[in-house]
Amino acid sequence: MIKIEKRNDVPMALYFFTPFIAIILTILGGGIIFYILGFNPIEALKFYFITPISNLYGFSELLLKATPLCLIAIGLSFCFKSNNWNIGAEGQLTFGAIVGGGVALLFYNQEGFYILPLVIIAGAIGGMIFALIPAILKTYFNTNEILVSLMLVYVSKLLLDYLVVGPWSNPEGFNFPETRQFSNSSRMPLLFEGLRIHAGIFLALAAVMLSWFVLYKTYLGFQIKVSGLSLKTAKYAGFKGKTMILVVFMISGACAGLAGVGEITGPIGQLHRMISPDYGFTAIIVAFLGRLNPFGIIFASLVVALTYLGAETAQIFLQIPKYTGQVFQGMILFFLLASDYLLFFKVKILNLKKNELRY
Amino acid sequence: MATDLRISNISKIYPGCIANDNVSLQFKSGKIYALLGENGAGKSTLVKILSGVISPDNGEVFLNEKNLKLSSPLDAKKNKIGMVFQHFNLFETLSVFENLSIDATEDNKSLRVRINEILKKYNFSIDLDVPVLNLSAGQKQKVEIIRCLLRSPKVLIMDEPTSVLTEQETEELFISLKKFCDEGILIIYITHKLKEVLSLCDEVAVMRKGKVVSVSQTQNERVETLANKMVGQKLAKIKKKINISKNKDEIFKVKHLNFYSDDPFETNLVNLNFSVKKGECLGIAGISGNGQNELFQILSGEIITPDTSIIFRNKEIAKLNPKQRREYLMAFSPEDRISQAAVPELKIYENVALNNFKSSNFFEKGLVNEKKIKDHSKKILSDFSVNTDNVELKSQFLSGGNLQKLILGRELITAPELLICYNPTWGLDVGAINYIHETLIKINDQEKSTILISTDTEELLKLSDRIAVIYKGKLSKIMPSEEVTPEKLGVLMGGGSID
Repeated sequence: MIKIEKRNDVPMALYFFTPFIAIILTILGGGIIFYILGFNPIEALKFYFITPISNLYGFSELLLKATPLCLIAIGLSFCFKSNNWNIGAEGQLTFGAIVGGGVALLFYNQEGFYILPLVIIAGAIGGMIFALIPAILKTYFNTNEILVSLMLVYVSKLLLDYLVVGPWSNPEGFNFPETRQFSNSSRMPLLFEGLRIHAGIFLALAAVMLSWFVLYKTYLGFQIKVSGLSLKTAKYAGFKGKTMILVVFMISGACAGLAGVGEITGPIGQLHRMISPDYGFTAIIVAFLGRLNPFGIIFASLVVALTYLGAETAQIFLQIPKYTGQVFQGMILFFLLASDYLLFFKVKILNLKKNELRY
Repeated sequence: MATDLRISNISKIYPGCIANDNVSLQFKSGKIYALLGENGAGKSTLVKILSGVISPDNGEVFLNEKNLKLSSPLDAKKNKIGMVFQHFNLFETLSVFENLSIDATEDNKSLRVRINEILKKYNFSIDLDVPVLNLSAGQKQKVEIIRCLLRSPKVLIMDEPTSVLTEQETEELFISLKKFCDEGILIIYITHKLKEVLSLCDEVAVMRKGKVVSVSQTQNERVETLANKMVGQKLAKIKKKINISKNKDEIFKVKHLNFYSDDPFETNLVNLNFSVKKGECLGIAGISGNGQNELFQILSGEIITPDTSIIFRNKEIAKLNPKQRREYLMAFSPEDRISQAAVPELKIYENVALNNFKSSNFFEKGLVNEKKIKDHSKKILSDFSVNTDNVELKSQFLSGGNLQKLILGRELITAPELLICYNPTWGLDVGAINYIHETLIKINDQEKSTILISTDTEELLKLSDRIAVIYKGKLSKIMPSEEVTPEKLGVLMGGGSID
């Protein structure tokens, strides 16, 4: 018989080390898959993890993809740390992009230094409002935030679809499902000529610093920590549980909205159907891989961003679909959860005969 | 046939603690044996070894000179060792009969006949076809005992059996145990209640820190001698001076406290009215599960009930949450230390910060004032003799007693006018219990009031100035503690009434 027991004391060092084990196992697992598919695993892995960042352009692309992942994951860490399961960051990203993009379209033929800040703020507010829906339903109507936030993703995606083919579609766009190009004043400034990396990265870094400060140095952070560990204790201490749920969802939504705005004002420059390759969902993996720790999330967002890039390189050089990126992301989460399980529990095999299993 | 159980040189070592250190004991049928010890003395480990739940690192168990291999609970069953645990292993939604038939080897018809014989023989009155959840704790325990008796045991081990029983049920249990004993069943009775040892058992083995420190005839022992053996040091006697509080102000007054819940596992409270005077300890007795949880949460503000009036220091506080109530100098010590009063994963100073009140300035303008919290925590650790001075230590490394001292210290350092505590000494050893009791008495001496909700009648009689009993969500009349006897409390706690 197999018996599973909780470990009493898990060393902190090991807790932060297991994500690395998960990454190594993912690479090994990826090699095996490539081998089964008939590729030379070493070469394939090289295309996946080394070629993409072997030049400056590739490195800029890595940071470009890591930026939204990091921003969203930072926001999610507030929710997850306090036991609120916001699964709908993708929807909040989309809605933030819609609101921010709407403001950018208002100014499509104008220039002005004030436009970009307006667009960014509008995007953050959009994400915030969209995240408030599951939060309010949870606090006042006892709904399950996982379901509501997840289903709202499809609402926002369909809304975006409707807008880009309908009212907001580019009048000179030959009926392509996209809006006008934003004016230059609505675009994130590029950091280097010829590279796509833009000023949005500073938003992500600011979010990291700010979240570290809030989580570890403020009363709000303390309340989030206690509520995440024991809701009973939070109640006993008299924390305002409902307010806190609303606040963490707002923070999370604002971060996702910022990520959405960063995409449309950064590399994309307009609204169309495919503004995000599921950054909002992938960021969930990033948040957990980074142990919900602000600095861990920076590292995790870089690792996961690499799987996006690697998938594209692999598609070009090895003719395997870029959806292998999702396979890798899935494997990371799988191995992380598995190693966490072994970290927190120990498995004991007891020597019992068949007929003794009844007791 | 006589039974002879011998434990020889049993050792069990856990990382960082020796649970059983070369334990040797001998038991013979025809007597009731007590195994006495504080929490963590090694009683439970020994019992688990005897019942096959864990195996010893060293040593042997002999039953009638036959060496037993006890590697699973089934082995214990086969060798006719029966065991009634403190926490019942019954399926609440199944009927009594279904519960008993689960591990029976015979067909239902003959099983029912045998059960009825046992019921008749020992004068148990239990309806076999009601679901177990409708039974009282005492009846549930009887079901567990019947389950053992069905296997005609040679040895019956009872682990802290009276912790959930009323005084009446305890008496009934003792009568049954004596009967079993006369029939030749060897009874091992595990407890930390001294009086029970003296009134029930013939021989007593005292364990301390994993070792057997004494084996003696109970007739040669008194409560004090046993307590000294168990604790290993002379216990200072605590005596509460009677509080003359007739003319004092009422500091806390509850009116029309009603609570209705849709949850079948919660107890409804029906029109509770009571008040507490300055410097007084109001005890609320009752078997657990009669509404104490709900009452505590309403008094602390975790549950807000409509139409209830709670006046504290002349202010209406019924609508305030726990934090706001703390600002008015109330303090709360819940029953559940590990998942409510403190968070084991948090460091000591973080747990101290849970009691955040205005003048503490733990959080200034929304920011954590870590230095202030740590200074404060250090003071609590030394003032309340918690056995560490490291405020960075995770609370999970504190023993139950030390954790309770920390919690009580945290609540008391604000100098509250009223402390509400619920089972403050639950699961603690005698040393820690004494410390907590002294502390609670000190509070009253300083003209501060306490409400003590407890399931331990001895504790209530020792500490309270007035006592009421809660039964099925209703409060009895409040009696001065001089007029209360354990018997009276037992009657009320069991749902009976006194003139």
